[in-house]
Amino acid sequence: MDYDIKQTTAWVTGPILLSLVLFGTMPFWIEAVGLYQYLGVEVLIWVIFALGFNLLLGYTGLPSFGHGAFLGIGAYAFGLAQFEVWPNLWFCLAASVVVTALFGAVTALFLSHRRGIYFALMSIAFGQIFYFIASKWTDVTHGEDGLLNIQRLPVELGFAQLSIRDNAELYYLCFAIYAVLVIVLWRLTNSPFGRLLRAIKQNETRVAFVGYPVTLYKWAVFTLSCAIAGLAGGLFAMAQEGAYINVMSLQWSGIVVLMVLIGGGFVSFWGPVLGVALYFVARDVLGAYTDTWLLWFGLMFVVLVMFKPQGLAGIWQDLSRRRAAERPGRTASAGMEG
Amino acid sequence: MLLDLIPHIINGLALGLLFALLALGFMLIIGVMEVINLAHGSLFALGAYVALAMMAPDGGLPFAFMEPYYALPAVPRYLIALVVGPLVVGLVGMGLELCLRRTYGSDPLYGLLLTFGAALVLEETIREIWGSSEYALPIPRGISGGFIAGDLIWSTYRIYAAVFAAGLIGVLWLFLNKTPYGAVIKAGAHDSEMVRALGYNLTRLRLLVFGFGAALAGIAGIVMAPIWGIRPVVGVDAVIPAFVIIVLGGVGSFWGAVSAGIMVGLVVALTAAFLTDWSLLSMYLLLLAVVTFRSRGLAGKSSVLEA
Amino acid sequence: MALFEARGLHKRFGDQVVLEEINLAFEAGSLSGIMGPNGAGKTTCFNVLTGRYRPDRGSVRFDGDDITGWAPHRIVRRGISRSFQIMNLFDEYSALDNVVVALPSVRSRSFDVLHAIDADSEAQDRAETILDRVGLRGRERVNVRSLSYGERRALEIGVALATDPRLLFVDEPTAGLGTGATARLAELIQELKRHTTIVMIEHDMRFLFGLADRISVIHWGQVIAEGTPDELRENPWVRRSNLGGLA
Repeated sequence: MDYDIKQTTAWVTGPILLSLVLFGTMPFWIEAVGLYQYLGVEVLIWVIFALGFNLLLGYTGLPSFGHGAFLGIGAYAFGLAQFEVWPNLWFCLAASVVVTALFGAVTALFLSHRRGIYFALMSIAFGQIFYFIASKWTDVTHGEDGLLNIQRLPVELGFAQLSIRDNAELYYLCFAIYAVLVIVLWRLTNSPFGRLLRAIKQNETRVAFVGYPVTLYKWAVFTLSCAIAGLAGGLFAMAQEGAYINVMSLQWSGIVVLMVLIGGGFVSFWGPVLGVALYFVARDVLGAYTDTWLLWFGLMFVVLVMFKPQGLAGIWQDLSRRRAAERPGRTASAGMEG
Repeated sequence: MLLDLIPHIINGLALGLLFALLALGFMLIIGVMEVINLAHGSLFALGAYVALAMMAPDGGLPFAFMEPYYALPAVPRYLIALVVGPLVVGLVGMGLELCLRRTYGSDPLYGLLLTFGAALVLEETIREIWGSSEYALPIPRGISGGFIAGDLIWSTYRIYAAVFAAGLIGVLWLFLNKTPYGAVIKAGAHDSEMVRALGYNLTRLRLLVFGFGAALAGIAGIVMAPIWGIRPVVGVDAVIPAFVIIVLGGVGSFWGAVSAGIMVGLVVALTAAFLTDWSLLSMYLLLLAVVTFRSRGLAGKSSVLEA
Repeated sequence: MALFEARGLHKRFGDQVVLEEINLAFEAGSLSGIMGPNGAGKTTCFNVLTGRYRPDRGSVRFDGDDITGWAPHRIVRRGISRSFQIMNLFDEYSALDNVVVALPSVRSRSFDVLHAIDADSEAQDRAETILDRVGLRGRERVNVRSLSYGERRALEIGVALATDPRLLFVDEPTAGLGTGATARLAELIQELKRHTTIVMIEHDMRFLFGLADRISVIHWGQVIAEGTPDELRENPWVRRSNLGGLA
């Protein structure tokens, strides 16, 4: 399972440009293909969340089964900051990121010296604890009802103020954040830090024996991943115009794992993007025909784990490797660009 | 005052022994397959739903062909449910093991993810057949209701559940320790090479042990159903105690699992008695406390869990 | 004073005593060997010396510091490195990347998240030099899983060297190697010895006796004999074990 080794020194690669063009033009064609604007918003928010999550799962090999909790915490933080402190977009998003990162940092203190299944178990326990607290602490979270009437705050640019009440407008805020994030994460995964994360995944013991305090890096990447989850949570609160508890459940935490894996997060930077897109399109397209689409999606997942655990990106890499092998004269540098 | 606690303690014992039953099946699977079966809770739920189908013809369930069967009195139907439930769940478990085979020898994470997918599929299948609403499992009159003794109200069913689970745990212990099959299973949990050396077929052993572990989950689900109610997400509520017990009791320790089960049951029941809303939270806090201070549980040795 | 000194090391697992009482001293610039029968505690001893396990009793001193019970990464940063008997590499990386990760210059900027590591030509050059030293020139871009067994053993030493150690522990470097590869390895260690203090566990007596300045024999969790190869050839245990005859 090898991450793609092309263009590791570039800031903007072919696939990044392609994703920017595709996502950037989406509001103009999404309705033409029978879908709707809000779906685009959902996809982008979950892409942001999943890219951050894959730093843990795909890059560092830490199977966190409680990550949905941090998306939820980010959403609540956004709502509370808006209601109680200062209804300013940048302030509230910053609050989402900082608060969620703090929760993540404390959680990571308990998790970062764990590995393998114990890490998974502990992450489930923490996810469930946050879920329970959110469901019972009704003074703050309003429990099962959710935190309602969260506003889509206007984008303050100093010289101008842009409304994002409309779904397409909100979409472009998410897109701008995605564009920055995807470039930063691409850099990160090819930096000394990113290279070290992948080394931890491959052989934690050896990383310690070449002089790195492994626990510190695991703590840092968990916290970073939670900060990104918080950012996605803040956007999600605006998208849904409320913060709800369901995303914090074990099932949703599992679905994130499932999306990332189906897309191929183990072998490609782009796995989470592919997986999230597939999930939401499947939900809407399959969901139009059958109520039990999640059953079929789950079956697809099981079959994929059995036969191709490298996911969509893995299938793509195999195909392009085969194509490259059939075309003599070109070196078999496999895979998606980047 | 202390006497008032006794019904809660009985309640805790019933819960704890059922948790232990669930956890023992879970542990057998970890031992022989080295797989954390995230679908264990869904198998537990499936057991309860199969029993529901054997007991209650109501709710527009697609079991009209079983009409003549429902004419039977409640007691034989209940006994049939206690046999058919684990049987069906055991077969589903064996089907899951057939899928799991492809992941043996690769990253243990894949086994975990596969069983997560299977849990999703099982839960959605349950929703498809029975819907999302909550059911109560009808039980024969002899084990329902309650009675008053010594100024306290006792629940007959909780006492029945505790005795039933304790009895089954006893039988399981005898099976594992006094029969040649038990010896092979224990050998498999210790060292798969040894099974081959003893001349047994490891592939078949894995299939049967997975089925057996699943059946234990199924039967725990049936007995738990009147206490917890039946709904599709009940699986999550069940799989977490199993984790907690395994971590508390340590992988591979029979009595470790039983005593951890009772401990968890008592903690949950006593919290529920005073702080109803927070009873499950107490279990997670217990898990955190134990894992933080004793990473290998109370009796556990180094294991596959740390791989 | 010796560069590295272990005194009274005792280690048990459960009720099994693996190290009874180990006293060892390694002089700067020397190549010391550790030998002994299987199950004598050699590898456990190595693991205690390099910080993988904490000893139950006793102390380890390196260059004036008491490093007993230090975490592995601290010991590495202090200047001690080790290779592993069971191969312990980064399997998804190329040979070059295995070495790059271990370089102190890369380590010192490990929280850099923006600059491409592949653009760090200084680190790349340094890693290529190390690979050249261990005989892997031309194999830099090959994935670890595609390397031959002997090449991976050499890379195992390369990764340990990359941390720039003053003291290098090598755990059974010849395990599983053929005669040709063993001879090349002897040349490599001969060359490394000129710059680095080395401690080596080895089963192959001919190999060890040909390279080591001093050898310690471990048996029953204790050092039962110590000396130069010539002195040890006269040692009754070494003679009786029928191994000295080879040397």
